[in-house]
Amino acid sequence: MASNPMQQFTVKRIGPEINIAGVDLSFTNASLFMVISATVIILFLFLGSKEKKIIPNKLQLIAEMSYTFVAKMISDTAGSKARPYFPFIFSLFMFVLFCNMVGMLPYSFTVTSHIIVTLIMALFIFIAVTIIGFIKHGFKYLSIFVPSGVPAVLLPLITIIEIISYLSRPVSLSVRLFANMMAGHTMLKVFGGFVVSLGILGGWLPLSFSVALTGLEILVAFLQAYVFAILTCIYLNDALNLHH
Amino acid sequence: MTIPEDFKTRLKIAKSKIKKQLDNDNEKRGSFMGSAFKLGTELVAAVAVGTIIGFILDTLFDTKPWLIIIFFFLGAAAGMLNVIRAANRMQKED
Repeated sequence: MASNPMQQFTVKRIGPEINIAGVDLSFTNASLFMVISATVIILFLFLGSKEKKIIPNKLQLIAEMSYTFVAKMISDTAGSKARPYFPFIFSLFMFVLFCNMVGMLPYSFTVTSHIIVTLIMALFIFIAVTIIGFIKHGFKYLSIFVPSGVPAVLLPLITIIEIISYLSRPVSLSVRLFANMMAGHTMLKVFGGFVVSLGILGGWLPLSFSVALTGLEILVAFLQAYVFAILTCIYLNDALNLHH
Repeated sequence: MTIPEDFKTRLKIAKSKIKKQLDNDNEKRGSFMGSAFKLGTELVAAVAVGTIIGFILDTLFDTKPWLIIIFFFLGAAAGMLNVIRAANRMQKED
């Protein structure tokens, strides 16, 4: 029984040590659970789309629902211009969702509770969106830093504030997902530890808390994947439809 | 005797409508916590980024500690801007 609630987040090496040009590229439990999540997504979508029935079975229904859910989210927030980016946002949403959900299983490892994972995803989105903006609009894209209708005296100040606000996007995007997942899993472990230390007499109260928290965590796991995807859509919308 | 029957069906429809609305409200309540957390990180992230930019510029121009102070406040302003924008977005969604 692990008494330290933070012990669940340790990254351990699995198998041999791989060292390429001074960079440690060993296969860890984090990589293992990323592979598991990706495999589960592929299996789920493959089996869900194998039999194309008019009256779908449960698996096909869920697969189709996840498709329409993301498609509707994109068209609602970013408009029809964002249609070509559907595969990217769909894979992003499914990956975050399944990483969160696989992390909810006992004895598993939550990949998204590590800031390096979420930060890399957020930085990738941030850089990609910036490049898309420059490709679509050229140097006119810089006009998102200069809001219209601001007096000339305040313009330099507002521009600096806008740039900081733009640069804070990947930070807030990654910290939100990471903090939610880490806080939730730490809390579950802490209450689990209470159950053990209070024993059969007093352990029922923390146990009921644990059950409630598990339900809440599943909600948070879905909600954070949704927020991650919808914010990507919003940033994409800013890059595609320039009208600030 | 047809009038009470009619009333019964109407009552049923009205009750189911109210129930649907209540279910909707319950679903929304769960996402309120998410929205609150979203606004919080939005504010903190901008302050952190502003301070880091100030720190980098300070070491670059050797002007410690002036730029870090200035950029801390600029970051706080950017954070508030972010929060206002996020709140506006939430209102538009509803």
